[in-house]
Amino acid sequence: MIISHYMKDEHRACDTHFAAAEQAAANGDWAKAEEGFITFSNETLTHFKKEEEELFPAFEAQTGSSEGPTQVMRFEHEQVKSLIGKLAHALEAQDKDAYLSLCESMMILLQQHNMKEEQMLYAMCDRVLPSDVKEETLDKMKKVVL
Amino acid sequence: MFSQNGLSLDQAPPLSVVFRFFFTGSIFGMLAGVLILFYQADIFDAHSVAAVTLTHTLTLGVMLSFMFAALFQMLPVIAGVTLKNPIKKANALQYPFILGVLALLFAFNLSAPWLFGIASFLLGGSVLFISFTMLKNILTLTHHSASSKGMLTALISLVLVVILALYLTASLASFTEATYYTAIKEAHYSFGLFGWVALLIISISFQVIEMFYVTPPYPTLVTKYLPNTLLGLLLLSTVVSFFTPLIWVVTDVLLILLLCGYALVTLKRLTQKKRPLTDATVLFWRMGLGSLLLSMLFMGLTLSYDIESIKSLSYLFFTSFSLSIVFAMFYKIVPFLTWFHLNSQGYFTAPMMHEVIHPKTAKKHLYIHIATVAIFAVSIFISELTLLAGLLTMLSFGWMSYQIIHAYLLYIKTQKTGEKFDMNMGNG
Ligand SMILES: [Fe+2]
Ligand SMILES: [Fe+2]
Repeated sequence: MIISHYMKDEHRACDTHFAAAEQAAANGDWAKAEEGFITFSNETLTHFKKEEEELFPAFEAQTGSSEGPTQVMRFEHEQVKSLIGKLAHALEAQDKDAYLSLCESMMILLQQHNMKEEQMLYAMCDRVLPSDVKEETLDKMKKVVL
Repeated sequence: MFSQNGLSLDQAPPLSVVFRFFFTGSIFGMLAGVLILFYQADIFDAHSVAAVTLTHTLTLGVMLSFMFAALFQMLPVIAGVTLKNPIKKANALQYPFILGVLALLFAFNLSAPWLFGIASFLLGGSVLFISFTMLKNILTLTHHSASSKGMLTALISLVLVVILALYLTASLASFTEATYYTAIKEAHYSFGLFGWVALLIISISFQVIEMFYVTPPYPTLVTKYLPNTLLGLLLLSTVVSFFTPLIWVVTDVLLILLLCGYALVTLKRLTQKKRPLTDATVLFWRMGLGSLLLSMLFMGLTLSYDIESIKSLSYLFFTSFSLSIVFAMFYKIVPFLTWFHLNSQGYFTAPMMHEVIHPKTAKKHLYIHIATVAIFAVSIFISELTLLAGLLTMLSFGWMSYQIIHAYLLYIKTQKTGEKFDMNMGNG
C-alpha cells in the first residue's frame, strides 16, 4: 500500500493549505490567504505532475490501457486547474463572495476526484504493479518538481 | 472493468433528473402543510386517518422523492454506478409514483378498495422497478466502497418496505385475510424508518461528510458493520416477531444504541472538519443529528411510558432528522450541479454557486425550519398552534420549491444567452 499511503498524505496536506487560505479570506486577511493559496496551488500542481508523469504512465504500461481511468483523472485535473485560475483571479480582486463560492466548488470537485483516486486508482496501482516498479515509481515521484 | 465503476466523463446525471425529484418532494411538502391545516390536532392521534395520511405524504411524497433525487445524483459519484438512460428511467418512475401517492392518500380517506388496488399497482410497480434497477447496477460493481455497500442494504430495505406495504394494501382492499396485519405493519414501518431512511442517510454520510467538510474518515468499524448490522437486526426481528411480538422491545433498545452511536460519531466528525467555516449546511447536519438523538431518547421513553405525546415527539424528531439532512444535501447539490453542468458545457458565464443559491438564503431556510420543528413540538401540547405549524411547513417547502425553480431558470437562461468556449474545455 506504499502508493496509496504516500499519495493520500499529499491529498491531506493540500486540504490543510486550502482550508487555511479559505479561512483567511473569510476573515478578510488577504495577505495570509494569498500565502496559503500559493502553497496549495503549487503543491496540488506538483501532485498532479507526479501522477501524470510517473504514476499514470506506470499504471497504463502495466494494464496496457491509456484510456479509461487515467484519462478521466487527467480530465479532472484540467477542471481543477481551470478553477485554480479563477480562484487566483478572485483573490487578486479581493472578491470575498466569489472566492468563497469558488472554494466551495473546488472542494466538492477535488474531494470527489481524490476519493476516486484513493478508493479505486491508487488501490489498483498498489495491487497490479510489481513491487520493484512500485518502489521505482515512488522514488521518481518524490523527485518531481514543478 | 474500470469503466463499469462509473469513471466516465459524464459523472453527473442530467440536471432535470435530480431537480425534478427535489421539486416533486417539495410540492408534496407543501401539500403536507395543507393537510395539517385541514386535519389540525387529529394528526397527533397515531390511529387516525389524519395521521396515516400525513405520515405517508411525508414519508412517500416528500422523503422518497428526495431520496430518489439523492440516489440518482449520488450513485454515479459515490458508488461509481452509472445508470443508462437516466431521463427515461426518471420519467418511468416519476409519473406513476406521483399518481400512486395521490391514489394512496385518497384511499386512506375514502377507504375505497379499488383505490388501494390502483395505489399498489402504481407505487409497487414504479418503486420496485427503480429499486431493482439500482440494485442490479450496484451488484455488478467490481469495486465496492462503504457507501455502495450501505446503499445496497438501504435498497434491500426499500424493496421489503414495498412488499410489506403490498400485503397491507391488499388486506385493506380485502383481497387477503389479514392474519398477520399487526405484525406486518410493525415490520413495514420499522424497515421504512430504520432500514430505508436511516440506512440511506447513513451510507450517503459515509462519503459526503468527508467530501463536503473535509473531515477524517469514519472509523472502519462503523462503515464496515453498521449498515449490515442494522439490516440484519431488522430482518431477524421481523421473523421472530411472528412468534413473539415482544421482540420489538429488544430491537428498539438495540436500534437506539446503534443510531445514537452513529449520530455521536458524525457530530464528532463535524467538529474535526478541516474547513473552519460553518455554513448553513453544517448547521442543518447538526440539527438533523441532534434531532436523531432526541428522537431516540423519546423512543426510549415510550418503552417504559405509554404516553401518546412522547410517541409524537419521537416521530416529530425523526422527521426533523431526515428533513434537516435532506436540506443540508440540497443546498450543496443544487448550486454545485448548476455550476458544474454549465461549467462543463464550457460556459464561462456559468453562475458561481453563491449566485445560484446564496449562503444567506440557505441560512434563512434554516431559521424557518427550526421554527417549524419548534412550533410543531409545542403544538403537541397546545393544539391551537397546529395551524401555525402547518403554515410554517408550507413556507419551508415553498422556500425550497422557489430555489429549485430559480436555479433551473438560471440554468436555462445561461444556456440560451451565455458565452461559451467552442473547443473542448479541457484544453482551455
Ligand atoms: Fe489526481
Ligand atoms: Fe491525486
